[in-house]
Amino acid sequence: MKQYRLLIVDDEQRFANMLAKRLRLRGCHCDICYNGQQALDLVRRESFFLILLDLHLPDIYGIEVLKRIKATSVMTPVIILTGHGTEEDRRTCMHEGAYAFWHKPLGIDELMATLARIGEMPP
Amino acid sequence: MIDRIRRAFRSIWPEFYRQDKQHLDPYFTFTDYRKIWAIGIFVLVATALVPLLVITIIHYQLLQESVESELTLRAERLASNARRAVTFFLEERLDALRFTVNEIAYGQLTDPDHLAEILRNLKLGFGGLTDLSVISHTGTQVAYAGPFNLEGRNYSNQRWFIECQKHHFYVSEIFRGYRDIPHIIIAAKSFRPDGSFFLLRATLETERLIQTLSTYETGAHAEIFLINRSGIVQTPSKYYGDIFQKISLPVPAYSQRTQVAMAEDDQRRSIILGYAYISTQIADSPFILMVVKQKAGMMKVWQQLRSSINWFVGLCTLTILVVVIITCTFIINKLYLADKSKAETMALMEQSNQLASIGQLAAGVAHEINNPLALINETAGYVKDLFVLKEQFHQDDELIGYIDDILDAVERCGTITSQLLGFARKFEVKIQKVSLKEIISDVLVFHNKEAAYRSIQVHVEVPEDIPAIETDRGKLQQVLVNLVNNAFQAVDNGCILDIAASSAGVDKVRITISDNGCGMPEETLPKIFEPFFSTKEGDKGTGLGLAITYGLVKKLQGEISVKSKVLEGTTFTITLPTRIQKEISENEGSTG
Repeated sequence: MKQYRLLIVDDEQRFANMLAKRLRLRGCHCDICYNGQQALDLVRRESFFLILLDLHLPDIYGIEVLKRIKATSVMTPVIILTGHGTEEDRRTCMHEGAYAFWHKPLGIDELMATLARIGEMPP
Repeated sequence: MIDRIRRAFRSIWPEFYRQDKQHLDPYFTFTDYRKIWAIGIFVLVATALVPLLVITIIHYQLLQESVESELTLRAERLASNARRAVTFFLEERLDALRFTVNEIAYGQLTDPDHLAEILRNLKLGFGGLTDLSVISHTGTQVAYAGPFNLEGRNYSNQRWFIECQKHHFYVSEIFRGYRDIPHIIIAAKSFRPDGSFFLLRATLETERLIQTLSTYETGAHAEIFLINRSGIVQTPSKYYGDIFQKISLPVPAYSQRTQVAMAEDDQRRSIILGYAYISTQIADSPFILMVVKQKAGMMKVWQQLRSSINWFVGLCTLTILVVVIITCTFIINKLYLADKSKAETMALMEQSNQLASIGQLAAGVAHEINNPLALINETAGYVKDLFVLKEQFHQDDELIGYIDDILDAVERCGTITSQLLGFARKFEVKIQKVSLKEIISDVLVFHNKEAAYRSIQVHVEVPEDIPAIETDRGKLQQVLVNLVNNAFQAVDNGCILDIAASSAGVDKVRITISDNGCGMPEETLPKIFEPFFSTKEGDKGTGLGLAITYGLVKKLQGEISVKSKVLEGTTFTITLPTRIQKEISENEGSTG
């Protein structure tokens, strides 16, 4: 399996850790950020295959984080993963260039399938 | 028959009079339409009728006054004319006597032949004289010409003789006298050369006088006759006493002029009484001329007129009443209907608002549950991963089974929360042409077996010419499945289910699903689209079916409404646009 480098941005620490553990079991390299600023700093320094981004972050709202990520690294796909998303949020995120808008709970197999699909896409 | 009459009556009875929509009461602007209706009718009728009645009464009075004054005037004119005639009759004859005594010497007058000659000439000139006699100052009759020879009779103690001595002329009342024939005596006094006086007396027939009076009597209601000053009737009267009898009316007070007064006779009939004290320029007379008119007869014209006015006013009143009642009823009914539709809209709006807020609450709850669910999901998933991926555990099928149970439960909870959100995100909006006939029969395929088993008759009525609509097939199918399910649960075995489609205006179609099942009480109707509301007993219903249906119909840009009566059945009506307006749809993934 290809070694994907993923970034999980979520203030729910236990959820993020657990998801990271599962992805690592599936051969992915995972970084975790618990707030928006940390994530933005990391994205500026490193490059990721995919970012999983929560909307309700303690410091910066997820949509703002999405905008700034897209400003620095437009090619990195961002999947919004939230338990609180409204129809309005969905529209805004899709408009701002999110790859998808998912609700928790997350199906790990579907995530893996999506990763595979992204991997097959021409750069 | 009575039932039919009652039904016909109910159909024309204005709707506001029933006032049976109690659950809408708080939304009405006005509460008591019957009162408004009654006040409206009262005010309009009063405004229209009061002036009419006042004018009618004033008109009555004016008319009556003018009729009465006209009658009075006529009676006065009649009395004056008759008075002149009687006065003239007496004056003429008194003048003739005065002329005779002044012109002809006493000696010649006492000559019977000469006196007879004079009598003849007077009869020729004036008529109505019966006899002439000369009476000496002692009261003895010294000469006589006429049919009754009363020569030598002494009149010295008779009233007329005494009166005539005093006043030179005399007019008697009518009396029978020695001859037992009604007559009047007139007399004139003159002096002989020796200073003694004598009287020339004439007897007048009353026929001529009665005739003269009768020429003035006009119509059956007027009567003219003479009485004397003590009220004894002098010429014949039909109603007020025989001749020489006391009159049945009071004797009028003395007046120099002709007088007219309103009075009542002894029979309590209204009369117009005209009278005049007769007095000639030569001598006073004992007569009072009476003109009596029966008012009832004279007022006949006025009464006819009044009856016409009464009819007219009655007809006007009736017309005004009918018009006002019809107009008022119509207007108040319109007002009521407008108010009712406003109230219904408000009730509907409140219901939608409530649904929206309940929806928001549900969405909030769903969101809050999603985070712990996600954690459970990942943790259980991680444990499963450990079991499956690490070799030391992967033999333990029992433990993996437990974990799969947890994951299944999480997935089920996820499904419920996404249903609660009402977004149905799982289905993308796919707009395609849908034939109503086809989709209805597709839906019924699922129910054929149950219908046959429970002998429920399903009637489908979709006109051939109804166009295919552009909408989301999946959602519409779900809506129909939900409603048909609902109906099947509501009806007993052997009932009937009607499904019909029709056009509703240019760009809308209507689908109705009606059953003749148990129905629902009116109070529950506003609540049935709310989440978690269920009329089914125990845990048969989740209370989400109709709430989801409501959300789906809204998504399809349609409307759904329900009508129901207990024991009669329930009808759901869905109105959908023939072409759904496209929403902005983006590339959207979902994990459900």
